[in-house]
Amino acid sequence: MHTRHRLELIIERMATRRACNILETAGLTGYTVLPALSGYGRGNHWNRDTDLSAAGDMVVIVSVGSAATIETALTQLETLLSAHIGVLNVSEVKVLRPDRF
Amino acid sequence: MACCAAAGETGLAMDIALATLLSPMVLFFLLGLGAALLKSQMSIPEAFAKGLAIYLMMSIGLKGGVEMSKNALGPDVVLVMLSGIGLSFLLPIIAFALLRASSRLERTDAAAVAAHYGSISIVTFVAAGQAVEAAGLVTSGYLVAVAAMMEVPAIISALMIAYRGGQNDSAIAGAERGELAQEVLLNASVVVLIGSLVIGWLTGAQGMDRIAPFFVEPFQGVLCLFLLDMGLSAGRGLRNGWRLLGPAAIGFGLYMPLISAGLAAGLALLNGMPAGDAALLITLAASSSYIAVPAAMRLVLPKAKPAIYLTLSLGITFPFNLIVGLPLYIWLAGLVTR
Repeated sequence: MHTRHRLELIIERMATRRACNILETAGLTGYTVLPALSGYGRGNHWNRDTDLSAAGDMVVIVSVGSAATIETALTQLETLLSAHIGVLNVSEVKVLRPDRF
Repeated sequence: MACCAAAGETGLAMDIALATLLSPMVLFFLLGLGAALLKSQMSIPEAFAKGLAIYLMMSIGLKGGVEMSKNALGPDVVLVMLSGIGLSFLLPIIAFALLRASSRLERTDAAAVAAHYGSISIVTFVAAGQAVEAAGLVTSGYLVAVAAMMEVPAIISALMIAYRGGQNDSAIAGAERGELAQEVLLNASVVVLIGSLVIGWLTGAQGMDRIAPFFVEPFQGVLCLFLLDMGLSAGRGLRNGWRLLGPAAIGFGLYMPLISAGLAAGLALLNGMPAGDAALLITLAASSSYIAVPAAMRLVLPKAKPAIYLTLSLGITFPFNLIVGLPLYIWLAGLVTR
């Protein structure tokens, strides 16, 4: 097994395209976008049922890459998160096929 | 005689109010609202609700197009369209000034709220169409086109207000050129509404006859289902977001529709519109968006708090318009079109 970094970004749906552009530009070879159902943050409960426009929906973007690539993406993602609602974390993971990341 | 005429006017307004309040669509909305406020777990599946919204927009677009195909479009129609666009540009400026003068909302939040009140609610428009029909008034199909035209100018107007204050998020990391234009001009409601209007206009009454069993007869039942979901959304939004609204902002959600309605009534009078069309134009001006504008605001004013503008638009103004506004606007339309 080989060590890589896993980036997990929970962000509002309307900013998904922006976040994905950053990941692609940084050189990450892939990512997955998942819908988030509901949550709680900064004193507010949210869920997918309250907003007909779906503009308030949140998504989870998961991507795995080398430390250097993730670091490149983080600089831009930090700027993105200064404007959009979201949280980000990076963790160390083990992967089976390192050439893919 | 004047006393009897006044009593007659009041009686008519009360009749319209009662008929609207006791209509199945308003009662289903209240059912959803009450259920959500009581924390019921009832929910309508998200994809189903979106399907219902598309169905309703297709249906009113088609009906509007068929009506338009019956008459040639004259300068009077163009004037009403221009009036709608003008209102959509103007209302955010008034809304912003009132919000800044009366509430503690920050500039960005006030600009985002203002955009919602300049744009329109297609569901309120649909409900108004039903109420106008129940009141025995006739409407022209082109008001659907006016509705679509009033979606976008308010967004531009509110952006200009926000940018004048130094708020400019156009350089956000990852942003693409033209993404706002794509969002506001090609969002589902604009595409479905305008597309269906053109299809209805091209195929006319003959084309409509072939699809009427799907788009005409079940319409009111589907509207009830959709309004049940709207009630649930409004109730949940209110439950989660009311703490962020002060009395001034809540008051704004109630009086702004009346100001907009007054301005639209003046334009209806100037344009010499028939009562049914005037009622729809007044409703469009008085309604506030909760589908197209929130999405646009997340792109261009992401620092504005969605809990404020969504709660105001969906939790305060939408129920107000549905329960109190519609009969009032129909009555007002009757007054200015005599």
